[in-house]
Amino acid sequence: MSNHSVGSSPTRIDARGKVTGETQYPGDLHKQNMLHMKILMAERPHARVLNIHIEKALASPGVAAVYTAKDIPVNEYGLQIPDQPVLCGPGASKPYTDIVRFVGDQIAVVVAETEAQAAAAIKLIEVDYEDLPPLLDPVLAMQPEAAILHPDRGESNVCVHYKIRKGDVDAGFAQADVIVEGEYQTPVQEHAYLQPEAGLAYLDEEGRIVVESAGQWTHADRETVAHSLGIPNEQVRIIYPAIGGAFGGREDLSVQVVLALAAMNLKRPVKIVWSRRESIIGHGKRHAVLLRAKWGATKDGKLVAVQNELIGDGGAYMYTTNKVLGNATITSSGPYNVPNVKTDVYGVYTNNVPGAAFRGFGAPQALFMAESQMNKLAEKLGMDPVEFRLKNALKTGDTMSVGTPTPNPVSITECIEAARDSFKWKKMNWKKKPVAKKSAIVRGRGFAAGFKNVGFSFGYKENCWAKVEIHGNGKIERVVLHHAGAEVGQGFQTVMSQMAAEVVGVPLEMVEMHTSDTATQGNPGSASASRLTFMAGNSVKGAAEAALAKWNSEERPAIAEFSYFAPPTTPMNHDTGYSMPNFQYAYVAQAAEVEVDTETGHVHVKRIVSADDVGKAINPDLVAAQIEGAVVQAHGYAVLEEYKTKDGRVLTDQFSTYLLPTILDIPEKVESVIVEVPDPNGPWGARGMGELPYLPVAPAIAAAIYDATGVWIDEFPFTPERVLKALGKIK
Amino acid sequence: MNLWQEYKRPTTITEAVQALASASGSAMPIAGGTDLMLDLKQGRHNPIHTLVDLTFIPEISALEVRGDSLFIGAAVPVNRIARDPLTGTHAQALVEACNLIAGPQVRNTATLGGNVAHALPAADGTIALRSLNAEAEVASASGTRRMAFTSLFAGPGKSAIDKTKEIIIGFYLPLFTPNTASCFKRIMRPQGVALPILNCAVWLERDGDAVKDIHIAVGPGGSTPFRATDAEAFLRGKSLTEENFNQTLDALLAQAKFRDSARRASADYRRHIVGGLFKDVLYTAWGRAG
Repeated sequence: MSNHSVGSSPTRIDARGKVTGETQYPGDLHKQNMLHMKILMAERPHARVLNIHIEKALASPGVAAVYTAKDIPVNEYGLQIPDQPVLCGPGASKPYTDIVRFVGDQIAVVVAETEAQAAAAIKLIEVDYEDLPPLLDPVLAMQPEAAILHPDRGESNVCVHYKIRKGDVDAGFAQADVIVEGEYQTPVQEHAYLQPEAGLAYLDEEGRIVVESAGQWTHADRETVAHSLGIPNEQVRIIYPAIGGAFGGREDLSVQVVLALAAMNLKRPVKIVWSRRESIIGHGKRHAVLLRAKWGATKDGKLVAVQNELIGDGGAYMYTTNKVLGNATITSSGPYNVPNVKTDVYGVYTNNVPGAAFRGFGAPQALFMAESQMNKLAEKLGMDPVEFRLKNALKTGDTMSVGTPTPNPVSITECIEAARDSFKWKKMNWKKKPVAKKSAIVRGRGFAAGFKNVGFSFGYKENCWAKVEIHGNGKIERVVLHHAGAEVGQGFQTVMSQMAAEVVGVPLEMVEMHTSDTATQGNPGSASASRLTFMAGNSVKGAAEAALAKWNSEERPAIAEFSYFAPPTTPMNHDTGYSMPNFQYAYVAQAAEVEVDTETGHVHVKRIVSADDVGKAINPDLVAAQIEGAVVQAHGYAVLEEYKTKDGRVLTDQFSTYLLPTILDIPEKVESVIVEVPDPNGPWGARGMGELPYLPVAPAIAAAIYDATGVWIDEFPFTPERVLKALGKIK
Repeated sequence: MNLWQEYKRPTTITEAVQALASASGSAMPIAGGTDLMLDLKQGRHNPIHTLVDLTFIPEISALEVRGDSLFIGAAVPVNRIARDPLTGTHAQALVEACNLIAGPQVRNTATLGGNVAHALPAADGTIALRSLNAEAEVASASGTRRMAFTSLFAGPGKSAIDKTKEIIIGFYLPLFTPNTASCFKRIMRPQGVALPILNCAVWLERDGDAVKDIHIAVGPGGSTPFRATDAEAFLRGKSLTEENFNQTLDALLAQAKFRDSARRASADYRRHIVGGLFKDVLYTAWGRAG
């Protein structure tokens, strides 16, 4: 039977259940004898918890238990470092966990027979706080005299500092004919996944604590829950039902530990579903970053020096700030060959909602600065921005800013050319256009590029497990694929099934997939860093090949497990950044066309062409869907979404005030251009791509606004008021 | 804790008023519920003992010509107002406003009475009614009475109607007469479902090249739905020249009180964009009337 699953776009294997509503998401789960949980959040940015009065809540009808900090066996957690209390309050097992550091810090948990009873009881808890002055500005929080938010983690709120020192920037600037300096500010963004945080915990037949919730990395969730409960990993079992979007926001935990604790203590199933408001204030967001840049080029258009300083608002807890800003460090000089680079990147604790992983993972912020610098330099040189990029584009084998060669084939030139050609980009004439007289509507176009690592970086021993079973007698009847990788909506399960079908040589319908359960499956790593197509793809390919070999030597059933290990990486040297931080990069370029209403300040994006190198499109429709979804999400980030706070409290805590783009607001046309420059290490040559199309959107729109209006706006979202202020029409 | 204890479905206005009066706890009328239910669920409104559903009262769901007026019942869903030929003929600004309220699902159930009773100074339906010289009919234990539209509003989000005792039955609008027209537009973001940053409705009567009569409503231009009466007075009887427009706008700006809203827009931004919006709405209505 001839069959080519890879490279085709079959119907998603999870489509039917999701379309008909049969598929269960965490909020849909029920069990007999189930209890309900509510969590009390601090609702203040910085305070010491003096006393928690739970007597009234305990006496309230239907209440089974009330938990506070002293009930948590090991009152700390965190994906990178355990700097976050599970519950904030006195008498806990860890020091400094009586301090509230952001509005969403959790104080107490009520478990009751009904959701209404839990909601009623949570209101009866009285907390005595000593409010402390909130530290909300990362620049001020960096100062030596600032109060220390985590006294057990060093004598400064600076929790991350990366340096890159390549060549000699002073000598570089001395060669430069033009220099552009800029200061940029990128905003917080809410993940806004459709499915708010939720879960169900219970004891299984073997007495393990099962937590069914939405996450991105089953085995990391298990380790975190086990750590906080003070029990071995094997006593915790994580299962993912369907996940309603993640985008990085589910890498860090929210409700899992307290759910597991309640199920363990009460020996009954316990469920929680957060409201949208709880989701918006209680869990991490994209980091706001302040970026300062000074870049120099010669008059014939060669970059000679790049100097950057980035200050990222880490918020109350580390989450993945160290890794996010590591990627920001590497991407902050763009996909270009620059002989002299000096970069300093800081992450700072504040009393804001924590900065979290979010599609792009530091690269969108860094590239907004880098690509805006490139566009401004092109203008100063009087050079077309596409031509300027091509002159400086990184080539395979070039030495990157971290002092080592590119790890895999570089395709930024191919992407820039593909975006240019598909857009039908005409060379830009930077001369001032005559001001339109009749209409308030002006048009412009802009270009930007980007790149990003695929997979975990900086010396992490990157690995991924899979198991494939081939069943049948004379001929193959059934292929069973076991993989714990998170299907967060991207189409992971379909793509993995396609790969298994391709290797074994059977139709896709013959592949049965067993998903996300730590009790039966090995460690998949996270659904993040655009890594699953590459990492899980290699693991599935390896397991399927091994199973097929067993089948061919007459084993029945033929079963094989396989762990794929990516090429090794190394951490950045503290003083110079010297490292081989990544084993794969992927590249992207985009052109945007916008209309600006100079009367109202509205920015309408008419068209975005996105050329993304995916190595090999395993499923071209899903690749196009990722491109369209990422562009739409990044357009919201660039133009519309505004996470407003006042004194550390979130003003935009509902979707009626945190405005997401609707179908009427998104770019009128998104054109996906799939570039395929294979990576020899990728399965069928594939590179990761889920974050890629997100990266250049904001700087491409900024450049198009400049082309339309003659004004650079270095802070976004490009809201009507910000645009009119930049145009000098309002104060 | 339930958000309400009793849910009544009266079929006459008298029964509805009695249901409010005889409730053994707090009571309130409900029609589409698109604002009230959200407020209850999100804790911005205390639980209500008795909800009195108005949508089974034929009188309050009527949309018909009565004598020299168009009557629009308070419980008529805004989607019906947006599509009914009668409103198309007699109340074009209201049709345009009702087409922009929220999204299709909300429009299928939200009512004009609720839009007005919520008393927001920039509710789309309210601003359109304000320009159309609507009158309201209100029922209480002492009977029904006609009220000037403005007397329904006490402040931002504060209705002058006592919702625990009184019910808005509906609105009376003048019928179309030759050489008149109206228009409603708004500036908002995003395009789909959000509250407006600024909206504007104009009704006018044209006499050749002159504005014989005009009503200009702008939201939010004050604490209650704002009419630019000084601007109206200036333009009445004058021709629509550039100079006259500019002076009309000056009068509007001098009278309007724009405010900062932390989540939506600054007063300064509203002052800046009102001119363009007003001009667009005015000239559209002018063209329609000619």
